[in-house]
Amino acid sequence: MAEHLLVVRDIAKSFPGVRALDGVSFTLERGEIRTLAGENGAGKSTLLGILGGALRPDRGSITIDGVRRMEYTSRRALAEGVRIAQQEPAIVPQLSVEQNLLLGLTRQQRKASAADIDRALKDVAQMGFPMDARTPVSRLSPAQRHALTIARAFAFGAKIVALDEPTTSMLEHNVAEVLSRVREIAHGRGVGVIYVSHKMPEVMSVSDTVVVLRDGKPAFDRPITETSSDDIVRRMVGRELLSFERQHPVDPAAPVHFEASGVSHPTSSAPLSISVKKGEVVGIAGLVGSGRTEFLRSIIRADEGSRATVSIAGKPVKIRSPRDSRTAGIAFIPEDRKAQGLVLQTPAYANVALTADGQLNGFGPFISKKKQIAMAEAMGKRMSLRPANVSLNARQFSGGNQQKLVIAKWIWLGATVYLFDEPTKGVDVGGKVEIYELIDQLASEGNAVIVVSSDLPEIISISDRVLVMRAGEFVSEHTGTDINEHSIVTNAMGVSSESPQNEAAPAASATSPDRIDPADTGADAFGAAKGTS
Amino acid sequence: MSSATPDGIALRPRRQINFQALGIYIAAIVLFIVLGLLNPNFLTAGNLRDVAVSASVNAIIGIGLTFVIITGGIDLSVGAIASFVGIVSATLMVNGGIPPAMGLIAGIILGIVCGAVNGLLITKLRLPPFIATLGTMSVFQGCAYVATNGKPVYDVPKEFVLLLNSYVVGIPVVVIVVAVVAVGAGLLLRKTVFGQNVIAVGGSEETAWLSGVRVHRVKIAVYCLAGGLSALGGLVIVARINAAQPDAGSPYQLTAIAAAVIGGANLMGGEGRIAGTLVGAVILGALTNGLVLLNVPSFYEQIVTGLVVLIAVSLDQGSKGWPMLKRSNKKDLTAAPPTASTSAVRS
Repeated sequence: MAEHLLVVRDIAKSFPGVRALDGVSFTLERGEIRTLAGENGAGKSTLLGILGGALRPDRGSITIDGVRRMEYTSRRALAEGVRIAQQEPAIVPQLSVEQNLLLGLTRQQRKASAADIDRALKDVAQMGFPMDARTPVSRLSPAQRHALTIARAFAFGAKIVALDEPTTSMLEHNVAEVLSRVREIAHGRGVGVIYVSHKMPEVMSVSDTVVVLRDGKPAFDRPITETSSDDIVRRMVGRELLSFERQHPVDPAAPVHFEASGVSHPTSSAPLSISVKKGEVVGIAGLVGSGRTEFLRSIIRADEGSRATVSIAGKPVKIRSPRDSRTAGIAFIPEDRKAQGLVLQTPAYANVALTADGQLNGFGPFISKKKQIAMAEAMGKRMSLRPANVSLNARQFSGGNQQKLVIAKWIWLGATVYLFDEPTKGVDVGGKVEIYELIDQLASEGNAVIVVSSDLPEIISISDRVLVMRAGEFVSEHTGTDINEHSIVTNAMGVSSESPQNEAAPAASATSPDRIDPADTGADAFGAAKGTS
Repeated sequence: MSSATPDGIALRPRRQINFQALGIYIAAIVLFIVLGLLNPNFLTAGNLRDVAVSASVNAIIGIGLTFVIITGGIDLSVGAIASFVGIVSATLMVNGGIPPAMGLIAGIILGIVCGAVNGLLITKLRLPPFIATLGTMSVFQGCAYVATNGKPVYDVPKEFVLLLNSYVVGIPVVVIVVAVVAVGAGLLLRKTVFGQNVIAVGGSEETAWLSGVRVHRVKIAVYCLAGGLSALGGLVIVARINAAQPDAGSPYQLTAIAAAVIGGANLMGGEGRIAGTLVGAVILGALTNGLVLLNVPSFYEQIVTGLVVLIAVSLDQGSKGWPMLKRSNKKDLTAAPPTASTSAVRS
């Protein structure tokens, strides 16, 4: 019997203060797609770092094709055909598609690369993203870049490919095509694939086997046919996962708290308006690139040339900058919390105090570190921040806890309008529920909440009302049982729901094959995961 | 991660930060001991006072620059501002007959105005700081030459010289000035909302902006601060040499940056320490002084200064992990290990 393609044995790795991996072992065969599942902080990224040779394990071994690799560097990893496709595409926007494919190859490899490039281009085309070799990558959409990253990982003699959340910026129907292509490539070329994703339907459809990491140890290792997504999630969090249900749906008689009209962005087509009641959570669904982020940024006037007329509790407020919107009590929780929500290399409490203007001062003009820490700790306690030590740098918290810090800086300030942009992007399952609870709580306290999200179950379960945005405009509004995957997706994609047989329909059905009711949306009794009771 | 005790996590990063900050002090002490062993005259009270005085201009200008560097900017015009202000103030006092105190204040105001020009170019016209201040460096230097047709201004009023170049109970006034500036700057940076905003702007400008920090105002303010302190530095030079030279400030241009960088200021923004810059200036001053005492030809001084900067910065990088030598870089990659470092795999 041939050796295993890859044997990872007893790998451990610690960072200052954290044991990221604590004895991980698993094997990978040729043509096998193995999902690496686990919550944020379970050690997946660290493991990929070690496989790529960028991190050196404290102990343990890596054996490829039966040869145990002692000096395992990133150069050695590349030579062995190990490719890591990052969650953030590691490509150079200024270079062309072809130049990006060739990046990092030696001169000899480049000469012999023509066939590989053709094959990679064919791969991306079959994933549903045809592109020309000479196109500068800067002109590609985020989804195309991801596809390119995936294709590149499989090119040039790849034997072991790790894909880290490869479908983040893709539409659901693209995801299906990409995944089936990945399966074809892996099985056809005998490439071993390590697949990392939080999206359970993807995991179930693409993988052959799954290994679950929890607290840096493998908690579960099975063929995919012998498990279920519920089972996997349960192993990840180590407890039963409760689906989220709003505790405090909006009171229909509540007065309007937040109103914005004439909201326009330099890149958007028509001005938009929105109004949110006290205690209401309004979800904004739509495809990536439909203008949802720009809509939120225009309200707080984050970008030059954006416009909006805003009133809070019936009174008009003048907003010309994020500064004014802060004064008016409008909180913006941006999509990219590392680059836009936090100053990573400063302590958590300083991040929470970033919105302070003197409220946390002690004597005269001098800030009181004590007050800042006390405030951050109080916020941390309310949100069950982990670890609770607010003197740690923001960088040292996991995704979900970082998000809590971003939200905290607005809560203590007493903001009454909360604009969330993808609040749980990159947050693990347990963290998501905590953030939903927080949103529900904010609404129950009489605040107005707007949530932009691409995560359909999320938007369905936390919203009182859903607006669907397409190409910079609100195309539909959903309440009650009309908040369901089918009606949201059909509107978001501009697919007519009356003709499910036409060409565009499979796209929509890929998202929820069992739930599509070809009858008209009004009579849709499924109500999906809507849980307003 | 949640299984680790919060306290256990907290202690380690604190210790690391202290080590990093301590390195520069240890280096300074070692340098003093070595120079003292090589030439016993180095450690005499009189000579140490000379070292302090010669480090003072670098310290004053470097402290202002530290704020700029923490925001992620750079100011190449500080030396030119020092020259320009020195010439203008001296002319006002010598030919205009204004009193020394007024000359001092007028000079500092001129420096702040120059800084404001930098700040406005960088924020309102969105010029990169390097380009904006490269341009104004030339403009301010040119203004200094134009002001007196390139001639030095001699015979600065005695009162002015005494104001900045005398002794109070044996301590040079400039050293007291540096101490006051340093303490004030330290308080401003660490103990005020403004200081926190400076650090936030350098750490993540977008985060600061979206959190309601008036980013432009913060940036303009730090360039004004750098301009004002450069002016003060220029006036100290005038008092020390008893004359204003139109290019007196230019040697300090790069050494002030060097002092800040040796002291741990990170040109990428978000990091920098006032005490570090102070020590950086002292190290450079001690080196200059020590090389003279050791009869090393003065041309070597520049080579040594350059090497010290390179060594200091690479040691600082080294404490964070040399990516070329070590596999694991970046210390505080804990919660979400490395997207940046693993991307090296692809290249």
